[in-house]
Formats: sequence, structure tokens, C-alpha cells
Amino acid sequence: MSTIHCQSKPKGTEAKTEQSAYTDDILKIKYITKGNAKFKRTPGGFVSLEFEGKFYSRVSVYRAFPFTNPDSFISIRQPDEKAEEIGIIRSLNELDKETAEIIREQLNIRYFTPEIKKIIDIKDEYGYAYFDVLTDRGACRFTIRMNTSSVIRLSETRILIVDIDGNRFEIPDITKLSAAELKKLDLFI
Amino acid sequence: MVLDTTNTVNLPKNLIEQLEGYGISADSIFISALADMNLDCQYEPCYIIVCKDKLVMALGTTKKRETHIYGKHRDSSKLFQSYQWAVKIFDLNKYDSLDIQPLISGGVLFGVKDENPVSLVAFSGSQMGDFRRLVNVYNKLAKNEELTDEDLKPEDDDIFCPKCGAIYPDRARKICPKCMDRRSVFFRMLAYFKPYTGKIVVMMLCYLGAAGLNLVWPYLNGTVLYDKVFGKNEEFLRFVGLPAGKFTVLLAAVVLSMVITKFIGQVLGIIQGVMTAKIVPDVVKTIKSQVFDSMGRLSINFFTSRQTGSLMTRVLDDANFITGFFIDGLPYFFINVLTIISTCTVLVMINWKLAIASLILLPLLTFVSYKLLPRLWHYYGKRHRASRSLYGQLNDNLTGARVVKAFGQEDREIKRFERYNSQMRDAELSLVGFDNRFYALYSAVQNIASFIVWGFGSIIVLYTGDLEVGMLISFAGYVTQLNGPLDFMSHIFRWWAESANSAQRIFEIIDSHPEVAERDNPVHMPEIKGKIKINNMTFGYEPNKPVLKNIDLEIKPGELLGIVGRSGAGKSTLVNLISRLYDPDEGDIYIDDVNIKDMSFKDLRRSVAMVSQETYIFMGTVAENIAYSNPDATPEQIVAAAIAASAHDFICKMPDGYDTIIGSSGRELSGGERQRISIARAILANPKILILDEATASVDTETERAIQRSLDRLVKGRTTISIAHRLSTLANADRLVVLDEGRITECGTHEELIKLEGTYYKLVQLQKEALTIRGISEEDI
Ligand SMILES: Nc1ncnc2c1ncn2[C@@H]1O[C@H](COP(=O)(O)OP(=O)(O)OP(=O)(O)O)[C@@H](O)[C@H]1O
Ligand SMILES: [Mg+2]
Repeated sequence: MSTIHCQSKPKGTEAKTEQSAYTDDILKIKYITKGNAKFKRTPGGFVSLEFEGKFYSRVSVYRAFPFTNPDSFISIRQPDEKAEEIGIIRSLNELDKETAEIIREQLNIRYFTPEIKKIIDIKDEYGYAYFDVLTDRGACRFTIRMNTSSVIRLSETRILIVDIDGNRFEIPDITKLSAAELKKLDLFI
Repeated sequence: MVLDTTNTVNLPKNLIEQLEGYGISADSIFISALADMNLDCQYEPCYIIVCKDKLVMALGTTKKRETHIYGKHRDSSKLFQSYQWAVKIFDLNKYDSLDIQPLISGGVLFGVKDENPVSLVAFSGSQMGDFRRLVNVYNKLAKNEELTDEDLKPEDDDIFCPKCGAIYPDRARKICPKCMDRRSVFFRMLAYFKPYTGKIVVMMLCYLGAAGLNLVWPYLNGTVLYDKVFGKNEEFLRFVGLPAGKFTVLLAAVVLSMVITKFIGQVLGIIQGVMTAKIVPDVVKTIKSQVFDSMGRLSINFFTSRQTGSLMTRVLDDANFITGFFIDGLPYFFINVLTIISTCTVLVMINWKLAIASLILLPLLTFVSYKLLPRLWHYYGKRHRASRSLYGQLNDNLTGARVVKAFGQEDREIKRFERYNSQMRDAELSLVGFDNRFYALYSAVQNIASFIVWGFGSIIVLYTGDLEVGMLISFAGYVTQLNGPLDFMSHIFRWWAESANSAQRIFEIIDSHPEVAERDNPVHMPEIKGKIKINNMTFGYEPNKPVLKNIDLEIKPGELLGIVGRSGAGKSTLVNLISRLYDPDEGDIYIDDVNIKDMSFKDLRRSVAMVSQETYIFMGTVAENIAYSNPDATPEQIVAAAIAASAHDFICKMPDGYDTIIGSSGRELSGGERQRISIARAILANPKILILDEATASVDTETERAIQRSLDRLVKGRTTISIAHRLSTLANADRLVVLDEGRITECGTHEELIKLEGTYYKLVQLQKEALTIRGISEEDI
């Protein structure tokens, strides 16, 4: 058993071991930039990436701030379950147009969230609310559970609705709704 | 191989016909799933169908603008009637395998051919289960593996009421409140009063008496007083049997009867009040304890999905609302209904023309309040929700006060509170506003009624002589008497709205069936050996987001099993499932070969004790806290448990020893001290299966050793599952399991896992290195 040392040692005298170098590496953000990476559409409709000398035949894209900063801090990850991070794109604007477009396509499908343009009807009954709405993708109906956090206020005016199966819908600005629509929604906000 | 494919075909009729045209018969279809989006995120139905030897994709198009419906469909054969189907048929070797790329909700189905993924269609979260099953079936077929009925069994599809199509509030119970439980909230509430029928009959008699007296009163002080006494009506004198001319005596008699009427009225009121006081608190108590009872029965999920603060307001506020309504509201409701009916009858008898004139507004009034009632309900619901989030916020703030202060965020918290507070104010304002308008309408109608009586009545008295002055006074008296009850009726609507709202919410709790429920005839297992078997278990807290995937694990009786894995890997989730705080989505857990779903809760809880990662200290003394699992424990047992948990020393050093009050308002304990009390609690419970979830993470290494040693003694003959990040904690484990992303990736003894050079090996190396860094630097000094 080793003895206990209580003296504090001056920093910096510790030997840099392989271990701490490894940790340092983990702690740094690995940025993917225009210069060091090449994204490509695959024939199968996915995205491949060449980065730091490695080729990834398929990558997943994650938003770090999907609501507050959807175009920045895009985390590129392995497509498997572990989803290890490959790197981060600081901002889509820093990429060339073509690449940004490729990434955006993937983001759009991953974060598929219809915007509710018009509320036609909301019926609430026995713990469930049935929505009949018009979205930017067309008319649709869905069901949410009452009494849980199905309706999330992202900001004073912005609302996210999550249905019983986890599907998401968004109202970007509730002040744009008509008085009658607001009244229907009143119950939830 | 005979497979049951009868349940698998849930395709639109026109598509099935079309497929049959292509030589694909309905019963050759193994499984199908509906992709409800295309890859450009547009709603577009596309059925993916797996048959015996074909993969079919049927893309639907239509000219009409159809409403997209999320979720399962009740009758798929009726869906997409107007659609045209573009059908593509492939051989099963088109793709080597199918797979799903999960999206935030839903996923993308893709096929893999020669390692190249090709995306096919996208689908919403509602279809995830179907696609998982489809992918499984396809991959088995592609690999020429045997399919089982299990693979083709549709997911629990009957989540809709067959009558009205609404989703069951409780999928396990399959009772549609709309179709089955037509008893209204009111009658259900009333059922609570059934045991007090005798007292209620007495009360009713009092009401009847009071209502009767209410009828007599205007008659006495109107017609009798004015027309008969002051009008010197000899006939009336004869009628009551008094000698002629004795009007003073008559006056005295009338006054006396008026006094008696009032007096009896008072007595009846008192009796009825006493009865109410006897019944109501009992009923309220019953309701409250029922609510608390169901809250205790409810599964963990119920509590984590709601803020604790809001739960408290719910139970206390709601019970109080209902109390108020039933103490003051309901009895008067009956009295007033009686009064209104009888008064109206009398009015019609006195003069039907005048009666009609003054009552004509009544139906209008009823209609208006009937119309406005739902709006009022709505405002009350809204205010209640606002107050709930306000209390929730308050509760969060109080419990998190330390964190708030530590980060100096008081101002921000105040602002946040302000926001909820103004929401509450707005809700209150709109409620009061609406209430006032409602009430103003009532007063207006009442005033108009009064004008009509006097105006129209005077005309009748003056010109037709159908009515005497005293009669008019009586009449006016009756109409005025109607005001009170009518007033009340407008009030009671509000009142009823409020308490029905509360009652509904209370019933919601009483009715909410725990997601984790005991079976009807549970298996009793007084003695268990402690064998645990987990069979292909999958579980997620949210739909379609599995946290644990296909877990297979067998733990021998008396074994000490260590679980390691990254933070968030699902370790705590796994042990929560073993203690049945949640039920698995798929697969089963067995203790001694009995499915834990079949075990009685009592036996399960007695056999399995867990020291969880979040220690919980109840309000009470140290001794009570330790003896929580076994309130009959002797002091000796308590001390023994505390010693085993290395808690004895610090407990004795506190001035009040084992009688020190700890918990929310008592003495604060350090993190490690709390853990040790939790361990003592588990030790005292003396379970056959002991689960330690990071149970010693907050205690120093030396104390941990001590606890370890006593646990070593204790775990003899006991199955122990120990979760730890610090590998030294698991030094004595018989076997170790590595969890990674919800899967068991490694399993074996320490030596075996070291030999494997996998995750565990890496962990050991890392921790060793972490220690040797110290070692190296020590030598450097
Ligand atoms: N009540 C819950 N609702 C939703 N998700 C949850 C809930 N509890 C845990 N999770 C999620 O489930 C995953 C597994 O959690 P779990 O507590 O089992 O991890 P763990 O392995 O015990 O981690 P740790 O070592 O940090 O204790 C995590 O991603 C977590 O965010
Ligand atoms: Mg944990």
C-alpha cells in the first residue's frame, strides 16, 4: 500500500504520460472545416465523409442546438448505435454552398418537424387531445397525451408539440395564429 | 413450417386486389409496414411488403388532397381508397439486409447491398414498431433462417375503442371512458354518500320542510296580513274559527305563526347543518385517502412525468374544492331546486298570466348558462394548470435553493417565477372577466323580472280586479324569493364547474392504473433462492427509443455480479427493471423461474432491496430511516445494520444519536452518510437479492473497504448485483458484465475479461494508469 501524501505538488512537474495526452485530445473540439473534410452524397442517398485521412462511407448529422441554433454546431457522428463523434461543423455558413446543401438535406430529414400553419380543430377528451391541423407539409391529424409535457414552450412565442408516438410539430410563432385558433390552443399554453 | 399469416395483412383493399393481379396472394404476405413519408419529407404512403420470396414496394398517389393521419389506423383496409398504387416487386436477394437509420422521431429504411446502403423510404415515429419487425423478418428470410410466429405477431394493435375509435387512456385496461363509463362525474361523486343514506334522508326532510316554510312565508306576510287582516276579511275570520270582529286576535295569531314559521325554519336549518357536518368530512377523508392510496400504487413513471409540486396542489386543492362544494353547495342546490319548483307552482296558481309574464325569462336564463358553462369550465381548467406550474416552479426553487444560490441565479429565478406568476394572473383575470359577464347577465334578467311583476301586477290590480293588493305583495314576495335560488343556481354552475373539474382530476388519479401492476392472482413466494434470469429483454423510457436492447443474463443464486459501463449505458435502468419499477417492453425477467410480473409485490419487494444511486432520506429519525423496510426491527437489529454499513460511528457522534431527526427539515447529512444510511436500510431488509447501484460511490475508500467487508459477510447466500464505476468496488465480484449502449458486450470473470482485452480490460488499464500517474509523480518528488 502506498503512503498518503498531503503536500501539494507544483503543477507542471507531472510527467506528461500517454494517458493525459489522450485525455487532452478528448477535451478538444474537433472542427470539421471546408479545408479538412470532404462530404459527398452517396448513390444510396446518404452522405460520406473524408476527414483526417479517414473515409467514412456513411455518417449521421446531429444538431447540438436544434432549436436555438440549428445551423451551427453540427455534430458529425458514426451511423451505428454508439454514434461516436467524428467532428463538429461550427457553422454551415462556413462550408461551401454545395456541402452545406448536402448536410442540410440530411438535417431536414433527421429533424423532420412540420410547421403548423393553421389549427382546424382540437378536441380534448379523456386525457388525449386530437389535433386537426394544416402544416407546411399538408393537412394532418395527430394525437397527444394531455397532462404530460406534450406541448413544450421553446420560447414565449414558439411551441413544440410531441404526439403519442414521438412525432414532432412546431408552431414557430403563436402570435401569428388567429384569435379563434389561439382559443383552441389555449388549453395547452 | 406452418406460419399464421392471418393477422399480418392489413393493407388497403384496392392494393390487395392489385397485388393479386400480380400473382401475390394475400396469404403469402408475411409482414407489411406503412412508410408515411418519402425521402423528401413529403407525406406519401408507401407500403413495404415482405412475402415468402418477394419484397414489394407500393407507392400510393392520389389527385385529391388527403389529410395525413398520424398513428395506427383502426381499419387499414379502408385506407387510401382513392389512391393509385405504383407497385415494384423485387426478389428477396435485392438487398443483403434491411436496416433502419433512426431519426429524431421515426426513421429511414435502407437496404444494404454489397456493403452499400441505399435509402428506400422514411416513416414517422408511429410506424417504428412495424418497421423493426419487418426488418427482422426480411433479414431472417434473406439469411434463410426459420421464422417463428413470434416474429410475425402484430404489435399490440387494439389500442382503440372499437365503438368510438378513441384511444384507450390506459392501454393495459382497454376501457373507453366515453363508451363504457357513462356514469357522470356527478353521480360517481354522489356514490361516496351512499353509506350515509339515513342521515341524508333526515337532511332531505329538513330541506322539504324548509322549502315548505318558504312557501308559507310570503303568503302570511302578503295576502293574509294585507288582504285578510288589514282588509278586515270576516270570511277569513270565520274560516280560522275566530268570533267576528276579533281582528286584533287574528293579527296576534298571524304574527305568532310568522314567528313560529321562522323558528321552525331555523331549527330545520340547524338539524340539516349538523347532518352535513357529520357526513361531509367522512366523505372527504375517503376521497383523500383513496387518492393517496392510488398515488402509492402508481408506478415510478407517474411521478417522474409530473412535477412533485403540482401533484401536491392537485390532491390538496382538489379535495378542498370538492369539500366546499359538498358542504355548502349541494345541499342548497336541492333546497333551491325544490323552492324554485314549488314557488313557480304557487305563482301559477295565484295568477297564471302574471306568472307567465314574470317567469318567461327563466328558460332563457337556463339556456344561456347551459351554453356558457363549458367556457367557464375551460377557464377554470386553465387557471388550475397555471397554478400548478406556479407551484411546480416554486417547489423546484425551494428544493433547488442550494444550486440557485451557489450559482448566484436568484434574479433569474425570480424572473422565471414572475413569468409563471403572470400566467397565473392572466388566467385568473380572464376567468374573473368571464365570470363577471356571466353574472351581470343574471342580475339583468332578475331585475327585468321584478319590473314586470310590479308593473304588470299593478295594472291587473287597478284595472281588472283579478288580484288584490296583498296578493300582489305575496306574489312579489314569491318572485323575490326566487331571486336567491336563481342567484345561487348561477353560482352553483360556477361552483360545480370548479369542483367537477377537481373531481375529474381526482378520479383521474384514482382511476389511473399503474403501468406496473400486480397480477390478479399473484404467485406467492415466501422463500426464494435468488436466481435471476433475463430473457431477451428490451426497454426504453420513451416510445421507440430503447435504452436496453436484447438483454440476456442469468445470475446464479448467491452470486455477486458486478455491472460496469459508461455513464448512461443503462445500468441503473437494468436494476430498476429487476426490482420492477418499470416493466420491460419486450422479453421477461424471472426470479427463481417465476416471471416477476406474476410475483406478488409483497414478496418481490421483500426479496429484492436496492440501494439506489439517488439516496433518499425520509423525514424522521435515523433509526426510523434505517428501519424503513422493517418497522418492527429491534434497536439491536438497527444498530447491527448500522455497524455493518459503517454508519454506527457517525450516528453515535451526533448529539441525538439514532434519534436525530433527518430528512427534509431535519439535520443535513453528507452524501456518504446518506449512502451509508441507505445501505443500512437495505441490510436490515435482509433481502435475498441485494442491488447496490453506486452504493458506495460517495464514501471514502477506507470506509468503502469496511462496508465491503461487512457486505462480503452479508452477501453469503445472497444474490448481489453491484454497479460501480470504481472497479475496486467490484474486486470480489464472481462475474462481471459490461453494458455498452444498452447491450451486454462482455460477460465473465475478471480474469476472463482481462484476457478478452475488451472494454473491461481498457477500463482496468485506465484506472491502473490513473493510479500510476500518482505513483510516477510520487517518485519524481
Ligand atoms: N426516467 C427516465 N426517463 C427518460 N430517460 C431516462 C430516464 N432515466 C434514465 N434515462 C435515460 O436512460 C439512459 C440510461 O440511464 P441509466 O440511469 O440506466 O444509466 P446508468 O448506466 O445508470 O448511468 P450512470 O452510470 O450515470 O448512473 C440514459 O441515457 C438516461 O438519460
Ligand atoms: Mg446509474
